[in-house]
Amino acid sequence: MARYGLLIDATKCTGCSACSIACSQHNQLELEVNYNRLEFVEKGTYPNVKMEIVPLQCMHCDNPPCALVCPTQATYKREDGIVLVDANKCIGCKYCMTACPYDARQLNHSRVPEKCRWCPEILSKGEQPPCSSTCMNEVRLLGDLEDPNSELSKKLATTSTYQLIPEKGTKPRIYYVKK
Amino acid sequence: MLKMQRRTFLKASAATAVMSAVPLYFGFNDYKQVASEAPVKKIPTTCNGCASMCGLFAHIKNDRLWKIEGHPIHIKSRGRLCARGHGMAADLYGKGRVTGPMKRTGEETFEPISWDQAFKEIGEKLQGIINTHGGNSVMWLEHGVRGKFYADQFLDVIGSSNYVTHYSTCFSSKTNAWHHMAGGSLNGDHENSKYMIFEGRNFAGAIIPHGMNQITKAKENGAKIVVIDPRYSEIAKIADEWIPIRPGTDLAFRLGLAHVLITEKLYDKAFVDKYVEGFDEFWRVNKKYTPEWAAEISGIPVEKIREIARDLAKHAPQAFIEPGWHGLHCHYINSTQTAQMGVIVNALLGNFYKRGGLMPNANAPLGSLQIPDQFHPEKGPRIDGAGVEGEFLTVEPGRGIAHRVPDAIEAGKLKALFVYHFNPVRNAPDPEYQKKMKDAELVISINVDWNETSVYAADYILPEDYYLERTEAPTNVNGHISHDHPQVSIRQKVVNRLFDTKPLLDIMRGISNEMGYYLYDYTVEDQIAAAVEPLGITPERLKQAGTIEFPATVKPVFPENKGKPALGTYTGKIEFSIDLFRLDGKMGVPTWIPPMVMPNPDNKEEFRLIHGKCPWHSHHVTSNNPELMAITEKYDGTSMWINTKRANELGIINGDTVFVESDIAKKKVKVRVTEFIHPEAVWIPSAYGGFSKKLETAYNVGVNYNDFIPSMVEPYSGTTMSQEVVVTVRKESN
Ligand code: SF4
Ligand code: SF4
Ligand code: SF4
Repeated sequence: MARYGLLIDATKCTGCSACSIACSQHNQLELEVNYNRLEFVEKGTYPNVKMEIVPLQCMHCDNPPCALVCPTQATYKREDGIVLVDANKCIGCKYCMTACPYDARQLNHSRVPEKCRWCPEILSKGEQPPCSSTCMNEVRLLGDLEDPNSELSKKLATTSTYQLIPEKGTKPRIYYVKK
Repeated sequence: MLKMQRRTFLKASAATAVMSAVPLYFGFNDYKQVASEAPVKKIPTTCNGCASMCGLFAHIKNDRLWKIEGHPIHIKSRGRLCARGHGMAADLYGKGRVTGPMKRTGEETFEPISWDQAFKEIGEKLQGIINTHGGNSVMWLEHGVRGKFYADQFLDVIGSSNYVTHYSTCFSSKTNAWHHMAGGSLNGDHENSKYMIFEGRNFAGAIIPHGMNQITKAKENGAKIVVIDPRYSEIAKIADEWIPIRPGTDLAFRLGLAHVLITEKLYDKAFVDKYVEGFDEFWRVNKKYTPEWAAEISGIPVEKIREIARDLAKHAPQAFIEPGWHGLHCHYINSTQTAQMGVIVNALLGNFYKRGGLMPNANAPLGSLQIPDQFHPEKGPRIDGAGVEGEFLTVEPGRGIAHRVPDAIEAGKLKALFVYHFNPVRNAPDPEYQKKMKDAELVISINVDWNETSVYAADYILPEDYYLERTEAPTNVNGHISHDHPQVSIRQKVVNRLFDTKPLLDIMRGISNEMGYYLYDYTVEDQIAAAVEPLGITPERLKQAGTIEFPATVKPVFPENKGKPALGTYTGKIEFSIDLFRLDGKMGVPTWIPPMVMPNPDNKEEFRLIHGKCPWHSHHVTSNNPELMAITEKYDGTSMWINTKRANELGIINGDTVFVESDIAKKKVKVRVTEFIHPEAVWIPSAYGGFSKKLETAYNVGVNYNDFIPSMVEPYSGTTMSQEVVVTVRKESN
C-alpha cells in the first residue's frame, strides 16, 4: 500500500501562484477557497536582503488532529495516508479548522471546511497533481514514501529536510528542503 | 464575502481578504461524481495569456472548458503554464466579453447591431474616407503581428503604409539595436550557462515557464545568477546576488563593464578580431568610461563592477548579459544605447553562437498562402514618421510609433483607425491623450473584451472569437529562449463560440467585400495547408499533435559564408556602430547619455517612478480575471513599493495611502514600505488601473504607470521612455 508524501523546495519558489490557480481549476473550487497558499517573508536591510517564500497546504498528517476532533468522522485518513473530507457527513461544526495547526482549511459556500486532497486519482497513476506539474520551478514533488524507488524517496534520502510545527505531534507528511 | 484570519508560521504579513464573485464551477462535493461520469476530451492549442503563446492542452468536459495544462513538447511550456495562462483560459466564461458587434451611441454607450449592418456601415464610411483623404489616412494598429497577414493585404490594396504595432511601448530599443548591430536578436542559452546577468529582466515576473525552468535548473547545476535591478524582483529571489542600481544608469554600468573587460584584457580578442566591426571606434569613446566613473553614476561599487566583469570573463563564453526585453528597452532616453551595450558586452565575451552563451532560435520553413497580385495604389509616407527623413528616421518603420497616434489624428493625417488586439487607451502613456483617438472619423476596435480603447475610442466594436474558440494559421515557436529544434504549433478551436463573434479573417472579409475589394478569398484551412506544405506534414497531424518538433537545425557556429562572417548586417560582422544613426547626425557607438529627468536629492518627496510585471498578470489584459485578481488581493499586489528609510523620512508607514503626483496626474496609492527597493525610486506593478466600468473586476483597482507619464518619444528607437518621470509622494493627510 502506497503512503504518500510531499517534498517542497521552497528555495526555488518565486511566488507566481500558478500552483494555486491550477489547483483551483482542476478541483473547480469556489473563488473563496484555495487549497494552497504562500507566505512571504522579507529579511535583512537594504541592500542586503533576502525574500523567503513558503508554500503551505494540508500536510496530510499521519496523526491528524482534524480527524481526531471530527464528531461525525467526515474527516478521515485513508489507508494510503491521504486525509479526506466527506462532505455528506460534514455538519459544519468547524472543529477541524480549529484543530489544524497549519491553518490548512477553508470554508466553501456549503460551509464545508475544504482542504487539499493530494489528488489521489492522479497520484495513484504515478503522476504529479496540477500544483506540482504546472510549477515552472519544480518546487513540489509528490510520491510514495513506502516505495524506496519512487523519485520522492530517492530525493528524500539525499536531501536534508525540516517540517513545520513538529512539536504538535501531527507527523506532517510534507518535508521542506533545508538549505 | 468570506474572510479568514490566517495564522502565520513565519513573521509575515499575509493579507487575507478574499473577493466574492459568482462561482464559475461546480463544487468540490460533486468532484468525484463528475470526474468519473463525464469523459474528458484533451485538445491541443496555444495560450493567449501573453505573447509567448505556450502550447497547452484544453480539457473539455460536458462541452465546457474544465482546465488547461501545459503541452509537454512546446518549448515555451514543456508541460508547465503560468498563473496568467490558467486565468486567461477561465475568462472564456468571464464577464467582460463583448458578445456581438456594437455601435457607439454616446459617451460610453453602445447599441448591439448585426454583423451585416456593421460591415455595411464600416465599408461605406471607409470608402468615403479613402475617396476623400486617400488610403494613407487609414492605419492598422495592433499588438503585433498576429493580424499582419490580413492587415497587409488590406493596407496594400487601399494604399496605406501605416501598419503599427505596440512595440514602441514595449521593447523597440532592443530590437532596433540588435537588428542594426547583429542582424537580429539572439537569446540566452540559459540551460547551459554558467553565469547569467539579469539586468532589468525579470524572468520570474514576465514568465516563460520553460525559460524559468531552465534558469532554476542551471542554478541547481551550479550556474551563478546575478540580478541587477533597482527593485528586488521575483527572479532576485533565486539569484546569488541582487545588486540594486540607480535607475536610469544601466548604460553607465555597462560602459564601465566593457571598459574593465578591455583594459584588463579580459575580452575575447580572437573573437573580436574576427567577428566585430567598429571595435576601435567604440574603444575611442569607451576609453573615458572607467569603472570608477560608472560606480559614481550607477551607485554600484567599483570593486563590484570589476568583480562582475572578471566573473563574466572567467565563465565566458558560457556567460552572458541576458539580452532582455521590456525592462531597460523602452524606459529611458538612453535605452537604445543600453541595448547597444548589451550587444557589445556579450560580443566582448565572445559568446555569440556558443553553448551557454547566446544562441539563435531554430526556425521551421513554414509556407504561406500566395495572395494573387492586386492593383496597389502608391502609398504615402508613414504618418507616424517612423523611418521618415526629417521626422523619426532612425525608428524602425516596420513597427512604428504606437503611442503618438492621437498626434496624427490631431494633425488631420489619420482619419480611420483599426485597433486589433491592443488597448492603447490603457496601455500607452497618458490615457487622456490616448482617448483623443476617438477624434478620428472612424475607429474600429477588434478585441474580445470591453477594454478601455473600445469603450473610450471606438465607433464600432467588432468582437473577435476568444482564442479558445478560433483556429489560426500555424506559427513557429520562437523568441526569448534558445532551442536547436524547430517547432511548429497551432492554435485551434477547443469549444464552440459562445457569442455572436467572428474570427479576424471573416471580419476583414466582411468589410472588404462591402468595399468591393473581395480580398480574402480563402479560409484558415487553406492557410494551414499552405503553411505546413514545406514541412512534409498534414494539417491533421499538426492539429492532432498541437506542437511538432523537427530535427535540430541550429548549431553553435557563427554564421559564415565562404569563411567570412555572415550575419544579417552590412559587413556580416557584429557592428559596434550603427550606420543609420550616424547618417542622422547621431552617434553610431554608444556613449553616455544621462537620464532625461532626475529626482532632486534635496527634496525628500521626490522619486523616480518605475514599474514592472507581477507574475500573475500580463499587464492589463488579465486584470478582469476573478481568480488572478483574488491573488492580487491576497498578496497586496497593487501597492506601490517605497524604501523603508525614505518612507520613514516622510512619516509613511506600511499600508498607508499616499498621493503620487507627476506633471500630468495625481493619484491615491496604497504603499508597501520595504527594504527591497532603491531609495531613489518607487515601484508600481504594471497590470492595474482599469477604468472601463464594463470590466468590473478590473475597474478602479490600483493605478498604472501610464497615468503618470506624458507621451514622449525616445529619439533613436521611438519608445515611450516610460520611466523618465519624477513624482512627488505625500502622505494623504498633508
Ligand atoms: S507554482 Fe511553483 S514557483 Fe509558482 S508559487 Fe507555486 S510553488 Fe512557487
Ligand atoms: S494539515 Fe491540518 S487539515 Fe491537513 S491533515 Fe493535518 S491537521 Fe488535518
Ligand atoms: S507564459 Fe503564461 S501567459 Fe504566457 S503563453 Fe505561457 S502560460 Fe500563457
